[in-house]
Amino acid sequence: MEKLMQAIYGGIVYGSIFGMMALGLTLIWGALRMLNLAHGSLYLVGTYIAFTLVNILKVPMVPALLIAALGTAVVGFGIQTLLLNRILGKPGWDVGSLIVGVGVGMAIDQSILLIYGPRVKQMPPLIPGIFKIGRVVINYNYLVVVAVAVISLVLLSVFLSKSRHGLAIQAVSQQPDAAQLMGIPTRTVFLIVMCISAALAGLAGALLSTVYQVQRESGANAMVMALVVTIFGGLGSVKGTIWAAYIVGLLQSFLMVYLGAGTALPGVFLFMMLMLVIRPSGLFGLGEAQRL
Amino acid sequence: MSVIFECERVTKAYGGLLAVKDLSFSVEEGEVYAIAGPNGAGKTTLFDTISGVSPVTNGTIRFYGQEIQRRRADDICRLGIARTFQTTVSFDTQTVLTNVLVGAAMGRPGTGKITLEFDQEAIQTALDVLEFCGLLDKQDWPASSLSVSERKKLMLATALATKPKLLLLDEPVGGLNRQERSDMVEFVRKVNQLGITVLMIEHIMKAVQALANRMLVLHHGEKIAEGVPSDVLRDERVIEVYLGGKHREKLSDNGGR
Amino acid sequence: MIQEESLSTQSVATRIEERLKPSAVPWSRLSVLPVVIALLVSLALPWVADLLPFGKFILHLLILFFLWGIVVQGWNLIMGVSGIFSFAQVALFAVGAWTSGVITQQLGWSPFVAMWFGPVAATVVAVILGLPTLRLRGAYVVLLTLGFQELFRNFTTQGPNFVAGGGYGLRYVPKFPFEEWVGGDKAQFLYYYLALVFFVIATFAIWRIFYSPIGMAFRALRDAEVYAISRGVSPFRYKLFLFGFVAFFTGWAGAFYVHWYGAISPAIMLFGTTINLLAMIVLGGWGSFWGPIAGCAVLTVLPEIMRAVEQYRILLLGIVLALVAIFAPEGLFPLLLRWVRRLLGRQTR
Ligand SMILES: Nc1ncnc2c1ncn2[C@@H]1O[C@H](COP(=O)(O)OP(=O)(O)O)[C@@H](O)[C@H]1O
Ligand SMILES: [Mg+2]
Repeated sequence: MEKLMQAIYGGIVYGSIFGMMALGLTLIWGALRMLNLAHGSLYLVGTYIAFTLVNILKVPMVPALLIAALGTAVVGFGIQTLLLNRILGKPGWDVGSLIVGVGVGMAIDQSILLIYGPRVKQMPPLIPGIFKIGRVVINYNYLVVVAVAVISLVLLSVFLSKSRHGLAIQAVSQQPDAAQLMGIPTRTVFLIVMCISAALAGLAGALLSTVYQVQRESGANAMVMALVVTIFGGLGSVKGTIWAAYIVGLLQSFLMVYLGAGTALPGVFLFMMLMLVIRPSGLFGLGEAQRL
Repeated sequence: MSVIFECERVTKAYGGLLAVKDLSFSVEEGEVYAIAGPNGAGKTTLFDTISGVSPVTNGTIRFYGQEIQRRRADDICRLGIARTFQTTVSFDTQTVLTNVLVGAAMGRPGTGKITLEFDQEAIQTALDVLEFCGLLDKQDWPASSLSVSERKKLMLATALATKPKLLLLDEPVGGLNRQERSDMVEFVRKVNQLGITVLMIEHIMKAVQALANRMLVLHHGEKIAEGVPSDVLRDERVIEVYLGGKHREKLSDNGGR
Repeated sequence: MIQEESLSTQSVATRIEERLKPSAVPWSRLSVLPVVIALLVSLALPWVADLLPFGKFILHLLILFFLWGIVVQGWNLIMGVSGIFSFAQVALFAVGAWTSGVITQQLGWSPFVAMWFGPVAATVVAVILGLPTLRLRGAYVVLLTLGFQELFRNFTTQGPNFVAGGGYGLRYVPKFPFEEWVGGDKAQFLYYYLALVFFVIATFAIWRIFYSPIGMAFRALRDAEVYAISRGVSPFRYKLFLFGFVAFFTGWAGAFYVHWYGAISPAIMLFGTTINLLAMIVLGGWGSFWGPIAGCAVLTVLPEIMRAVEQYRILLLGIVLALVAIFAPEGLFPLLLRWVRRLLGRQTR
């Protein structure tokens, strides 16, 4: 019973975290048809902005989170306007955008290493302290992380399904050509999507810096899990991605609790690969039509 | 005349949507048979099922009496059915000659084995086809640098290079200007005169009338009329149900732009 | 039939050569002289290098170049030529290395025998991995293959001890017995020659495929898959052949690696190695034959001579990668070639 509680609790925490990372990735895929391999680096940008603000400049945590999200959005804005816009809509976009992502990711990661050095750093928790339900230890900090993640996921879902810009994003994702014909400014939409996605990654990075240690590898790790989640959910599907985040989160947590921490990653990967074999476009995937 | 190709009660469903519904018709050797119908009628979907690009949901498709609805697309090509596409495609990064060689080396009956050498017959075929299509001079151009009408020609050339018995053309004159259209009509006639049976999707009636021996009209995946073009186009049902009142003048104008 | 006659009666007399423009054809001839010269130079290199101060080091770099050159050319065939985003090439390299290494360690077989099992294992794995990728499009292939690489890295880190070696991977793997044959100093020569043989065979095989109907089929599938299939190209047959063929050589390189270093660490499967190989292809020239080889040469040497400023090199590489993808998507090597040609053209005029 306690194990079960522990596993579910862990699953919800992981799921919320994965959801924030994966949603940004899936939004970009949906709108731009780009697998953004710099997503993990944007996460790092958020982490280190928060670290700088809180640990060095002694800014309180809440404004630091917001500034981290905004700052990362600015980086996303730069990537889009300075680099991606130049090859947008040209032949070779899929290869080009993938490599731009890899290159930018390397540059960001390496700059961070050069600026902050290789030492692992610590951040204070948002709210210290724990309480217990039975023997399950619940950490206030985790609860805050989950709350922020869930709030941002809900806000984003509402934004996507209700607001004008959100609807434009959906239209562009589903039928780019038709959307353009209907007069939706696709370039602006792409830019908005990139900024939102980056902001999410940055926020996730900043939030999780209070849970995990501050180190370079965390960006790549976060991105790998986000990739797994997006596969489960089906690239480009917002609803699917949020579902998948919690499914993968629970899966990882159950594996950890019942079979040991070492089995979590390979277990999740194995599950993902099986999933890809059985349902090639994910649980809720758009299913890319093979047509001319 | 003998039947070369027939569809019997062919149905194609996309989820709940029946794109082609219980469709039967047959094509005779040597003729030009046209399929018309408004956008979304299911014409391209029909071609997709015939050419093996997507499997039929129900029904049989026969080619020279042999059932082909379960075969893979590359196999069907080697049996002697070649298609073109509604959107103009080419192997953009490759030269014109290489585009045609793909069909000649991979799609002719009896080819398809993995080999390391280009055999002389494939090269010969490719050159013949290019000459026939008037593209021999541009054989070393990258396909992407051709004009739209040339690219359409090239797509047809790659089909011819597979030495088909039955050629499926999806809107061969779509997107062309008046002059290019009549050139294309002439060209299709020339191809037909080689003895290649042509099954053609076209809703520009001038082209249909100029080429087709027979035609059928498709609406919401169903056949609503079949016969000689002059009869079909006078059919009240076709005019009212399919084209609607406001398109009446288009029919008499023969769809000219 | 009618068609046959009329198509050919117009042109029966016209010979193939009269109509064919050499610049249009997808095949290529090797010019014998440069190849012979290159081979002779490669054969003489160790003896020349021996006279130089850093001779051993140069040989070491050349062997690395040969190994990664094999991997990169294969990957280019998959990704550049065929447009399939497989990110598991380093994992296949590792499958080859681990298979051969474990066999020598556990069964006590000679490296010369074991090294054939590496490529075979890599081929089998690649074909199994390839089957699902046949049904997947672009980005999903990236994820599936990355997933496999992660899994295999995990297996080699946490798996049974004879595989993972407590997290260090394989250590004390029997090397090729070259030292026993010729003594310490000249053993490096033999490693070099064996790597050279591997490299030449792999390069020649890939060259043959590149300019054959098979290469043409790969490119056709890349440019427009449905169209290519409708012209008779079987995606199943060609892609599985591609995966198997490339994996064989990749696994071969891996097997050589493990019996050369005498060890292999799971860390080789971290994303960094893959990115480095990717950079070789992108900078050299995506989908071209010589480009990735040139890229490999540069990026094998560069890290070694820039050891001191390693951090800045990676930063620079990232920036260059992004800029090349945008401003010179065909790669730097083809661009360079064109400049050189133009320069030469001007001089002769
Ligand atoms: N891959 C697909 N998935 C779902 N629906 C499709 C697909 N392809 C075509 N359809 C639907 O089938 C119907 C027929 O389309 P199509 O064959 O292209 O018509 P036509 O060629 O006559 O204009 C349309 O309603 C279209 O939306
Ligand atoms: Mg159509």
